[in-house]
Amino acid sequence: MKNHDDEIIISYFLKAGVMISVSFIIVGVILLFAKNGGDGYTLAQMSDYHYALAHGIDSRSVSLNKILSGLSEIDGLYFITVGLWVLIFTPITVVFIGWLSFLEDKNYLYVGMASIVLFNLFFAMLVIPRFIV
Amino acid sequence: MTLILIALKFLLIVFGSIIAGFIGSLTGLGGGTVLVPVLTLFYGIPFIFAAGASLISTIATSAGSASAYTKKKIANIKIGIGLEIATTTGAIVGSLTLIFIDKHSLIWSVYVIFGLVLLFSLIPTIKKIGKEIPPETKPDWSTKLFQLTGSYYDERLRKTIKYHGIRWWLGEIVMFFAGFVSGLLGIGSGALKVLGMDWAMNLPMKVTTTSSNFMIGITAATGSSIYWYEGYINLFIAAATAIGVLIGAFFGAKVLVKISNENIRWIFFAILSFLGFDMVFKGLHLINFIITFSLMIQFFISIIISIVLISLLYYNSKRKEWRDNNEKSR
Repeated sequence: MKNHDDEIIISYFLKAGVMISVSFIIVGVILLFAKNGGDGYTLAQMSDYHYALAHGIDSRSVSLNKILSGLSEIDGLYFITVGLWVLIFTPITVVFIGWLSFLEDKNYLYVGMASIVLFNLFFAMLVIPRFIV
Repeated sequence: MTLILIALKFLLIVFGSIIAGFIGSLTGLGGGTVLVPVLTLFYGIPFIFAAGASLISTIATSAGSASAYTKKKIANIKIGIGLEIATTTGAIVGSLTLIFIDKHSLIWSVYVIFGLVLLFSLIPTIKKIGKEIPPETKPDWSTKLFQLTGSYYDERLRKTIKYHGIRWWLGEIVMFFAGFVSGLLGIGSGALKVLGMDWAMNLPMKVTTTSSNFMIGITAATGSSIYWYEGYINLFIAAATAIGVLIGAFFGAKVLVKISNENIRWIFFAILSFLGFDMVFKGLHLINFIITFSLMIQFFISIIISIVLISLLYYNSKRKEWRDNNEKSR
């Protein structure tokens, strides 16, 4: 990476991603306690790990399609969901910035390598879930 | 009343995660290696929920502390992204393996593997204790082709250190296993990443720990999305660990830049060995294999074994140091 400002940009992206994510999580937790649960489950059910495990109260029961309606209903569980997904996307943006800066440097070997990494990430996110559910 | 108890439960997880995050960031492990044993051994959380919460929180540690390191330009982002090819592939294979193991009720084996991974990752660490900057080596073909060079300013030594990496292919192989372990056990597997860059590629310890910290996030993001769809993430636990680990990592990163590498390695070693022994015992306990005594006794046996082991190794390394010093003064 010739242009060392990229490292500063990456640093800001990481910091921003974490801060946005944590804010959503904290708001979600507060809502969860204020409303005693979310998405139709009580807090007691969620925090009883073995009950939750047996009854499938986990990330699978939270539908990503309902994020928008969940947020508009001020459901704490969906705020936490958004927070966690922002967290997952944070390091991905860094690879993307890396990809762009390799392209700028005309370092095609590394453009290719960063592309493989991005491919793997989206493969895990979009392709694999269709086979395991 | 129950709400207060639940809030207490939540805060306890946050507290455990702060400690895990602090140690994780200090050692370049990424929090999960400490968090999974803490959640399973002390909080009675089922393994898959512990792994899910840990893996996703590992991203927070990684991103939080990596933002500090990349700004200081210690972490080598180029080498990191190159090695991510292997770690992300490994993470996919690893998390699919965990799903297979879980569906076939073989979870006890993951405890044993977890413990053994911890204990075995110590061997190369002990051997190299005390070496801050790696021995000089000649660049090989991969150094030039994959541009494995860099430099950073060492605050403690007060000089700029130039370095180059070798054996890129060996680094990639180790990184595949690091990714596999990350997906299988729900940890960042920073120990293995450090091994890949330190032992295989002969990079300086500081570059290794900081770059590994940055890479952990990308590996964990791969595994986390697979975990998400499989239902391994309990949002109550994950929210608590994400917050806690992040706070811990923040303080860990502040300390890391200032302390000597030798200290990092000893902390590394002490905690890992205890948790490693305890996880193996727990796994064997689950299938009543050989060891059938209670969890409390397992706990104390693990403590005693690791204290004895660490003291012996610490003494051994100090003795070598004395001998070297004596020879020098003569």
